[in-house]
Formats: sequence, C-alpha cells, structure tokens
Amino acid sequence: MSITSFAFILLVAVGAAVYYLIPQAHRWIVLLALSLLFYLSGGLRAVVYIAFTVITTYFAALLLSAQNTRSDALDKAERAIAMPAIKRKKRSVAAAVMVLNFGLLYVVKYWSFTAAFINSAFTTVLPELELLMPLGMSFYTFQSIGYIIDVYRSKKPERNILKHALFISYFPQLIQGPIGRYGALAPEFYNSEFSFDSLKDGIQLMIRGYLKKLVIADRAAVVVSAVIGNYTSYSGSVILVSMILYCVQLYCDFSGGIDIVRGVSRLYGIEMAENFKQPIFATSLADFWRRWHISLGTWMKDYLFYPLSLSKPFIRLGKFTRRKVGGRLGKIIPTALATFIIYFVIGIWHGAELKYIAFGIYNGIIISTAQLLKPTFTDTKKRLGITEDNAVFNAYRMLRTSLLVLAGRYITRSAGLYRAADMLRITLTGFKIGSLNDGTMLTLGLTSADFCIIIIGIAVLLIAEALDEYRGGSAKALDNSPAIVQWLTLMAALVVLVIFGIFRGDYIAAEFIYKQF
Amino acid sequence: MNELTQIFTELCPGVDPECTSLVDDGEIDSLDIVSLVSEIMDAFSVVIPVEEIIPENFNSLSGMMSMIQRLS
Repeated sequence: MSITSFAFILLVAVGAAVYYLIPQAHRWIVLLALSLLFYLSGGLRAVVYIAFTVITTYFAALLLSAQNTRSDALDKAERAIAMPAIKRKKRSVAAAVMVLNFGLLYVVKYWSFTAAFINSAFTTVLPELELLMPLGMSFYTFQSIGYIIDVYRSKKPERNILKHALFISYFPQLIQGPIGRYGALAPEFYNSEFSFDSLKDGIQLMIRGYLKKLVIADRAAVVVSAVIGNYTSYSGSVILVSMILYCVQLYCDFSGGIDIVRGVSRLYGIEMAENFKQPIFATSLADFWRRWHISLGTWMKDYLFYPLSLSKPFIRLGKFTRRKVGGRLGKIIPTALATFIIYFVIGIWHGAELKYIAFGIYNGIIISTAQLLKPTFTDTKKRLGITEDNAVFNAYRMLRTSLLVLAGRYITRSAGLYRAADMLRITLTGFKIGSLNDGTMLTLGLTSADFCIIIIGIAVLLIAEALDEYRGGSAKALDNSPAIVQWLTLMAALVVLVIFGIFRGDYIAAEFIYKQF
Repeated sequence: MNELTQIFTELCPGVDPECTSLVDDGEIDSLDIVSLVSEIMDAFSVVIPVEEIIPENFNSLSGMMSMIQRLS
C-alpha cells in the first residue's frame, strides 16, 4: 500500500476516527491493528520477517534486563567479582540477537550481490537468491537493534510483547523511516490527546509532503529517468540539469515522504523525530549529513561511531599516533579513521552495489580529510580575517557543499561506476548551453508547463526552507498570520495538489526512492 | 577543573567554556566529544564507557567534571 494511495488516506482517516473514539489507555491497540493491516497489504511473508525481529528482540531485551537487575542488586564488592560474568552474558545475548537480525537483513538485501561478486571473481557457483526485501526492513532492523543496545546500556525494556511489536512495526515509519529511538518514540504511543492544533499541524505537514512528492519529485523523476537512462545522447548541460533535478527529486521524494509520515503521526497525537534540517543550507559535507536523514546519522553516531572511537583498538591507536605523529594531527587520526568507517557503512546501508560502497568511500575521504586539515583551514581563515558569520564566505561554503553533494549523486544515480565517471566527463567536457533551449528539454517527457511547475515549486520550497532556517519555521510564520491568510494558503495548496499532483498526466508516476533501502 | 578547561580550550578553540548547553546548541559535535573523551581518559586516568556519552555529561565543563569524579 503506497502512502500516496487513496487506500492509505482512507486507512489513516478511518483509523484516526476509531482511535479517538476509544479510551486513551487502549488507543495503542488501534495503532497496532493499523500497522498489521498495513503490513499485511504487502503479503504474509513480510509479516513473518518482522515477527522474527519482534520476537527475537523482545526476548533478548528481557534477558539483558535480567542481567541489569542482577548487577543493580549487588554492592560494590560483589559487583567487582560478578561483573565480568554479567558482562559476558550481556555481550553474548546482544551479539546473538544482532547476528540474527543483521544476518537476516544481510541475506535478504546483500546476499545476491555477494554471491555474484564471489562467483565472478573466483568462478564459483554460489546460488544468487533473489529474495524480495520486505517493506522497511532496513529501517525496522536498525530501530530494533538500537533498542537492544539501549537496554544493554541499562535502559528499561518493554515487557508487553504487543507494545514492543507496535514500537517495531508502527506503520507510518515502515516505508522510509525515520529510525525511531525507543526512549523518544514509545512514550508517544501512550500519551496522545486529541487537539485541533495537532490535527491542523498534521494535515498541513501531510499536504506539504504530498506537494513535494506528487507535484515536484515525480515530475523531476520523468526528466531524470529519460536522461540518465540514455545519457550518451545528451550534452553535458542537459546531463547537469537532469542531475540537479535528481537532487531536487531525491530531497522532495524522501523529505516529502517523511513529512507525510510525521503528519499522519501528528493526526494521532504522536510526535516523530525530525529527519531533515534544511540540507540546502549545509556549509560542509559533514554538516550536510547532520541535516540529511538525521535519524540514520544519529543512529550511526550513538551505536557505531562512539563505540568504535572509544573501543580499545582505537584508544590504543590514538595513543600510538599521539606519540609518533604528535600535535593535533596525532590526536585526530583515530577519529578521522572512525569517521571514514561510518560513512563507508552508510554507503553500504544504501544498497548492495559497488556504487554505494564508492559513495561511502567518497564521503568518508572528504569528511575525514576535512577533519585532518581543520587546523590549516582555521589558520588560513584567521590570516585572511574571515569570521564564521561572514555571509559571502558562508554562501561560498554552501555552494561548495552543494557541488560536492551533486558529484556524489552522480555516483549513486548512474547505472554503475564507469557510467558515473562517463556522465561526469560529458558534463565537464561536453557542456553546450544552447541545448537547453533548442527543444531538447521538451523531448524528455515533460511539457513546458510541467517545467514551469517544477521551477515555481522549487522557488516556493526554497522560501519555505529559508523561513525554516532563519525565521524559526515556515509553519510558525503561517500560524502567526491572520486566519484568512492561513485558510487561503491551505486552500491554495490543496488546489495545487489536486490539479497538479493528483489529476496529473498518466506519464508521471514514481515509487518512493528510499523505500528500496 | 583548570586542567579540564585547558583541554577543552585546546580542543574546541573559539567555544565558550562557560556555556552550559554545548551539545544542545551544537557548540561541540561528536568529533569534539570523542577527542575530549580521549584526552580526559589520559589526563585523569579514568575509563569513560560509551554509555556515559550522553548530552547531560557534555553540555558543560561542570557536567564533564562531575562525570570524571563519579567514574574516578
């Protein structure tokens, strides 16, 4: 069931009516039933996969909690004796549940790639299982493992298996996240109150999401597919425009989907984590990743970066580099290495293809090199008298970051690494500005009216993002407007959505991109 | 406390050591925290487990000092 389908809207609306009709204490059962219905629409096999994760993580969390309770009951002297055994048990449980769940994700998502790679390298005949990945598997696996690590670190577990199942399977987030944290998300399921403000905010957020997805992203997708699928027929300028449109498509598709998910949740009185923070205003690639897919970034930071950076081998490496290299460089080398590993993993998370590994390496090299060179940059800025609030310098940094992100998108959007390099080569060497107004653009599947809609859409989006970045939020600005302005804006948005989003031409249709991850 | 302030100003130049919302306001990021933790572990001979890497412990220098004293 797509979240842009009428069936989904109906499920959400009927679900909300039932949800608020029953007492607050039992509302979570409605959410669980809706989640099950939503997941069943994807087939029974998908339910088996998620049930496996629910059951294994539920019992693992209880086992971990039992060890936590045991250690809490000991005094200092007893703890010194018993802790090694308790830690060993906790590690075994956590490791087992991680191997089971990440293992299942690996088999479903990455096995075919591994087998094909090994077969081509060693002429073996490993079977390439063509398993269909269930909806949201990467997202709910990461979310449930995050929960296990939290309980490992002495957080209280959920003792009701159905409530635990709701945390793992909450239906709006299954499509493309955000990856929820137990401490923040679970309490939201049990404290929801009906309010007109939540209802209004939820509807506004959903409309914003549907506008991004149906009006902008799906239109841009038509041009992107036409050009990238046959890039050798086009000049560098057309490829560049299509890649810029791909960046627009990816942002509107992913953040639009998240807006819909967060909007639906607000209808139910549930506040979900932010997943985007105006990435267009990022001043470095590291800053971009702090603003893009935030829930994945914070997951990686808390559950991989910190444990890795503070692990014994990294601490030992740090001591070694401080002794042998010295200075700030000696101190930063282990952190830069851990950063590189994190971005490498983020690359692999996106998919089982060499291009995603290359994408991870690309980001890892740039960001860890920037860390290593930070003192040089700081000295240079000081010498040139450039301050952090220098508007021209910050505009330059934003442009530089956008170009780095754009180059990275060449890697992920192309059909392979060679083609990515070839597309980049044509962009740089075959740039013909004339091919943008010689009629070529109108052979790519969209009419001139569609291009106008995209341009106006991008302009409106940029204004909204600028308000979010610099003026405390576009929604707040609308809230502070007179009631008539609020209603007119809402009606205008609805009309645009209906005319240009719902009753658009049949030639425009696209799935959510992040659904595949 | 002087030693901690010295470590902090060296690793996070330009950041106010008196600030009480270092993490919440984005004054220091995860890379700064890891660098701080490594230095603190060396300078104060304490082991800081990953469970202690929470905003409350790193929002201020006094928070870091309390954590060091608790773990010593």
